[in-house]
Amino acid sequence: MKLLPKLLGVLVAAFIAAPLFIVVPMSFSTAPSLEFPPPGYWLGYYAAYFTDERWTQPTINSLIIAFGTMALTMLLVTPATFAVVRHRFFGRGLANLMLTMPMAMPHIVLAIGYYSYLGDLRLTQTHLGVIIAHTALSVPVAFLILSANLKGFDRNLERAAMSLGATPLRTFWHVTLPVLRPGFAISALFAFIQSFDETVVAIFISGRESETLPRKMFESIRMQADPVISVVSTLLFAAVALVILAPVVWKAVRKRPNRDCARGGTPAAKDAAPQDVNPCAPSRVQLEA
Amino acid sequence: MRDPYLQVSGLTKSYGSVQALGGVSLDVEKGEFVTFLGPSGSGKTTTLMIIAGFENATSGSVRVGGRSLSNIPPHARNIGIVFQNYALFPHKTALQNIMFPLDMRGVPAAEAERKARAMLDLVGLSGYGDRWPKDMSGGQQQRIALARALVFEPSLLLLDEPLGALDKNLREQMQIEIKRIQKSLGVTTIFVTHDQSEAMTMSDRIAVFEKGRIDQIGTPQEVYRTPSTPFVARFIGDSNLLPGTVLDPDQGLVRTEHLGLMRLPSRLAAAAGAPVTLMLRPESIHLAGLAAGVSEDAPNRADISVHTVVPYGDSTLLIGRAGGADLRIRLRGPEADGIGSGAALSVLWPASAIHAIPAV
Ligand SMILES: Nc1ncnc2c1ncn2[C@@H]1O[C@H](COP(=O)(O)OP(=O)(O)O)[C@@H](O)[C@H]1O
Ligand SMILES: [Mg+2]
Repeated sequence: MKLLPKLLGVLVAAFIAAPLFIVVPMSFSTAPSLEFPPPGYWLGYYAAYFTDERWTQPTINSLIIAFGTMALTMLLVTPATFAVVRHRFFGRGLANLMLTMPMAMPHIVLAIGYYSYLGDLRLTQTHLGVIIAHTALSVPVAFLILSANLKGFDRNLERAAMSLGATPLRTFWHVTLPVLRPGFAISALFAFIQSFDETVVAIFISGRESETLPRKMFESIRMQADPVISVVSTLLFAAVALVILAPVVWKAVRKRPNRDCARGGTPAAKDAAPQDVNPCAPSRVQLEA
Repeated sequence: MRDPYLQVSGLTKSYGSVQALGGVSLDVEKGEFVTFLGPSGSGKTTTLMIIAGFENATSGSVRVGGRSLSNIPPHARNIGIVFQNYALFPHKTALQNIMFPLDMRGVPAAEAERKARAMLDLVGLSGYGDRWPKDMSGGQQQRIALARALVFEPSLLLLDEPLGALDKNLREQMQIEIKRIQKSLGVTTIFVTHDQSEAMTMSDRIAVFEKGRIDQIGTPQEVYRTPSTPFVARFIGDSNLLPGTVLDPDQGLVRTEHLGLMRLPSRLAAAAGAPVTLMLRPESIHLAGLAAGVSEDAPNRADISVHTVVPYGDSTLLIGRAGGADLRIRLRGPEADGIGSGAALSVLWPASAIHAIPAV
């Protein structure tokens, strides 16, 4: 009985990972165009990616635009989320709808809209133009993540902080923000990834001047199937894996001392404060439990 | 006359069409431990939140030390609060939590830490300063919350059902602990609970809440012995409530619906014919022939047939029919030995055990 779900899990994982087994080897390939299996291996295309301005410039553009989008998104979404989640006001339902609406819109429709609208503002082919368009696309997801976090936030933490003498501003800074930090981080990360990954709108409005990496990849695969594409794909995958795995690894490393404690072993040195004889030692109070 | 330390007058609060408070007034002396006791939804938390400044009263005022709090924001009120769910900052250690109010007041770090550690000692958690809240038990978290609410020497300490989430043994231990700490610091305290035994054991005075109002304020003994409404009599302790009408106010005679004539210890401040409710605590009813010093004369007696026997170990609760109504009797120790369901008993009580609650 237990074998079937396990087998299914392995199959799904294999299916998802399958492209990697093709893309990663191809990035080290010596073939002049995308070709599998690779006839030989070298690092030439990695060198090409990091030195060729036709690749580095779109990468820099994409990073600038993604960071800009992330910053602008969070700047807009943070107050909007607090307003919509915490306050009752006229038009709240409408605000909620407008904040999530772009998610339901096909990107191609939005792209055409941005093309003419940003064109009028002379913002096509500029970083700012792409940032504005990407922000509109990032807002819904950032808003949804942040509002889910905020809804689960215990208001008594803020009440406690204020009763203890913190002004509303300091309460936000010392309590609300740090407690919601994971929510903010994930929200911002998604805004970043959304922008970095976005292709359709970028093709329409980024132009030569602010060409993004996905747009460059799209164009180069259309023209010549440049193997550098597999290099970029591999690097992107590695970056994402790193971002996702880092917190998991970090947590596993940090948790360990407590587990030792629970097992009755000696606590790790860094966990035992100088004045603390032994935090694992049973005491009057610990016997409560 | 000297002003009371905390003066709450005429608080009302409406949430739309819901009236949460319908005129709450009370005075609290400096250093006093007052408990708000009442069922869920009776307005205890709302009153506390208005005192703390997190809710605005629809009308009424709160004064501390003669000063109105109405224009003072929560962070400037110098009031310590302990919440039922502890509300410890999860990103700060126990010590950092306790230091927080001192940091907010600009106390130098070294002094703040010294004071925080002294508070840790006071709540019996000296070695726990570097623990994270999530690594502490409920009772320990509650102590840290208490230490945090006291370290800045608040002018008032508010506790909203602080022991509600703890199991019975730990609860009793914390009751004693909170009382000890409160006494040693002499801080004026308002403690909210819906548990009457908790209120009885901890309080200097109890304010009994019902439907957004305070029915009665008094010492535990006063609210227990002389409840001013049937609600208070029912909510605090076990009671027999006997509806009746005043027969002769000067002689203290009342005709009850079910048990006939009753004689009260003193004259009644009500006109003949006025409706009245008599309260008789189950433990002040005795078996006839066993009650030393209780007059065996009618009227304060009844014949009952027992239908339920509930043993409590140290005492036994008997419930029997008398005159068409149930009468609850609590007998101590071995007095109830041999009494089973179906037994016919003759019981009596001293006039002094009867308390008359005027009809409202
Ligand atoms: N924010 C609110 N909105 C609407 N009604 C509320 C709100 N807070 C409290 N109430 C109502 O006010 C009444 C008193 O509540 P509360 O003070 O919390 O009672 P208690 O603490 O005694 O259980 C209840 O009927 C409750 O439903
Ligand atoms: Mg409450």
